[in-house]
Amino acid sequence: MAEKFPQPVVDQIYTLNLGPQHPSTHGVLRVLLDLDGEIIIKADPVIGYGHRGHEKMGENRLYKQFMPNTSRMDYLSGMIFNHGYCLAVEKLANIEVPERARYIRVICSELNRISSHLLWFGTYVMDLGGFTPFLYAFDDREQILDILDRVSGSRLTYSYCRFGGVTADIDYEFVDQTRAFLKRLRSRWPDYHNLVTKNVIFIHRTRDVGVISPQLAQEYGVTGPSLRAAGIPFDMRKIEPYEVYDRFDFEIPVGTKGDALDRYYVRMEEMEQSCRIIEQALDGLPKGPFINDEVPSSLKPPKGEVYFAFESARGQTGYYLVSDGSKYPYRCHIRVPSFGNLNVLTEVLRGTLVADAISILGSVDVVIPEIDR
Amino acid sequence: MENARKIEPGEPMIKFALLDDVLNLARANSLWPMTFGLACCAIEMMAAGASRFDLDRFGAGVFRPSPRQSDLMIVAGTISKKMGPAIRMLWDQMPDPKWCIAMGNCAISGGPFEYEGQYAIVPGTELLDVPVDIFIPGCPPRPEGLIQGILALEDKITGGEKKNLLRRFRRMGG
Amino acid sequence: MDEGYQAGVVFAALTPSDKLRDAAVALKKLGFFVETMTGFEYTDTQEVVYHFNCFLEPKSRLALRVLCGEGMGVPSLADLFAGAIWLEREVHEFFGIAFDGAPDLRRLLLPEDADYYPLKKTFGTVQAFRKRDEIYG
Repeated sequence: MAEKFPQPVVDQIYTLNLGPQHPSTHGVLRVLLDLDGEIIIKADPVIGYGHRGHEKMGENRLYKQFMPNTSRMDYLSGMIFNHGYCLAVEKLANIEVPERARYIRVICSELNRISSHLLWFGTYVMDLGGFTPFLYAFDDREQILDILDRVSGSRLTYSYCRFGGVTADIDYEFVDQTRAFLKRLRSRWPDYHNLVTKNVIFIHRTRDVGVISPQLAQEYGVTGPSLRAAGIPFDMRKIEPYEVYDRFDFEIPVGTKGDALDRYYVRMEEMEQSCRIIEQALDGLPKGPFINDEVPSSLKPPKGEVYFAFESARGQTGYYLVSDGSKYPYRCHIRVPSFGNLNVLTEVLRGTLVADAISILGSVDVVIPEIDR
Repeated sequence: MENARKIEPGEPMIKFALLDDVLNLARANSLWPMTFGLACCAIEMMAAGASRFDLDRFGAGVFRPSPRQSDLMIVAGTISKKMGPAIRMLWDQMPDPKWCIAMGNCAISGGPFEYEGQYAIVPGTELLDVPVDIFIPGCPPRPEGLIQGILALEDKITGGEKKNLLRRFRRMGG
Repeated sequence: MDEGYQAGVVFAALTPSDKLRDAAVALKKLGFFVETMTGFEYTDTQEVVYHFNCFLEPKSRLALRVLCGEGMGVPSLADLFAGAIWLEREVHEFFGIAFDGAPDLRRLLLPEDADYYPLKKTFGTVQAFRKRDEIYG
């Protein structure tokens, strides 16, 4: 839509601060926009308003004491980050995990992924101006939070996974509640599609807006649904299968153009694929122990390093742990997907309108405290 | 005039007895919070405003993005050193009467991120010279906890639960 | 899965800092992207590790490690991979490692007037401060 407007005149530039306190900044993001009228000439994100020093804390905490930190980095997919951290440390220290624990972790991670996408759906449409889907999405999300709350004790920042398994076992009620939830969520898809996907205003605000091409994605290191909307099927669950993902049959939705509407479609379809994974996992849930009892409480992994990559709700995440043989890590670096996803916006936001900028920011789904670890 | 009480700074010089009560009743039952979610507690604040734990039934569901239109600042999340001056500025921009709730362990005293070598956060909202009225502990506190905090603030404004004539239930707990 | 992949990378190469740009040009032609960049601090040297990954080839992550000491800089990859600008800003502000030719080295995550480098082992509480050979010997 921006091509129809005349080219900007350079001596009328106005600098606007899309400040850290704004209803749709997904955390505390500040974007310095240079505007000519309504068109953005330059966009400079300023981050760091949520910096809490996780990496320094990682060096000062025992391996098991760092678990709450992992959940609070990307709080919308806290279970997935916990899961990834456990897998990274288990790889570093060569810890065996029983099968039942693997299945439980996969089920909880996929439930978390659905809840993160539901929240994204609600807040994205709210940013664009529609308040109703927010309430529907949060209602569905509360069902997931009930299920996970019952088994882990917390609604948002779980520390459910332990090295070698999980904290507590799941019971029949968990399985029944999850199956009932899946049935209920699937009955909601027609509502969501009728309300949002076929909505003319929504389509006009998201079609051809914020196109991220594969070349741009390669330059900036974009991963996740934004990359899959550009046409590249890069999902860690299929590329480097970890846990028991290689036993399940699911697809990776891929878009064509890379605009905001494609990102929306990819995420909605991903929720359905996650439902498929959960169903298959519940059907194949083995019996057995839920944790490996022989893991020492104060873990001292052998000297070495590990870089473990997994797929969180926002893209490819990685833990880079370096151990020097003592009980504290020597270096704990976390690669977060929102870093590259936000970085690409310096390029994508150029030449768009301010209203489109809100739509693009929302569709790329960044969580700022994740970047600001 | 020896019995006259000294007026504290910040206290209004003229007091209306019944009108004050009515005004406080109005202020308490229609608190307009400012959307000030910094980190994880923001999601629980949003969940408290959403469909299950509706904040609208207490009159506090209208989240205003602008500080000039709100009278309650809910500091939800960790305050980093970069964000501290912004919070102070937002507090100053809010018109009187205004209240502040510190939600979550990070806003109360730094939370799980406060340790001896921490360089990046401000451990608590009070260190920014923002007078906090209600502290809600939890990491993150459940939306029911936030609702209890808002009800406690309402009682603080009206001077007690009995004076809050528009409340139809009794608040349990502390 | 070969032995090297146990640690998550296909191989890790210790690169001298002048060969870094040539390697990056070759990798960009092959379709790799910079996954992440991180720094290390030891008693005798500092180190920057680049992890590259490829979209189209599964399991092809590789790491390039560049040693840099006090005063020795690392060439910047900002003109090859535009996303490296932010990564270099982050490594610079946490470790103090200088990147030659980087267009922008402002503070990214810390406040603009910060004059400390937090992840250096001489700052704050530190549990271990070792030589490089003790870990990668």
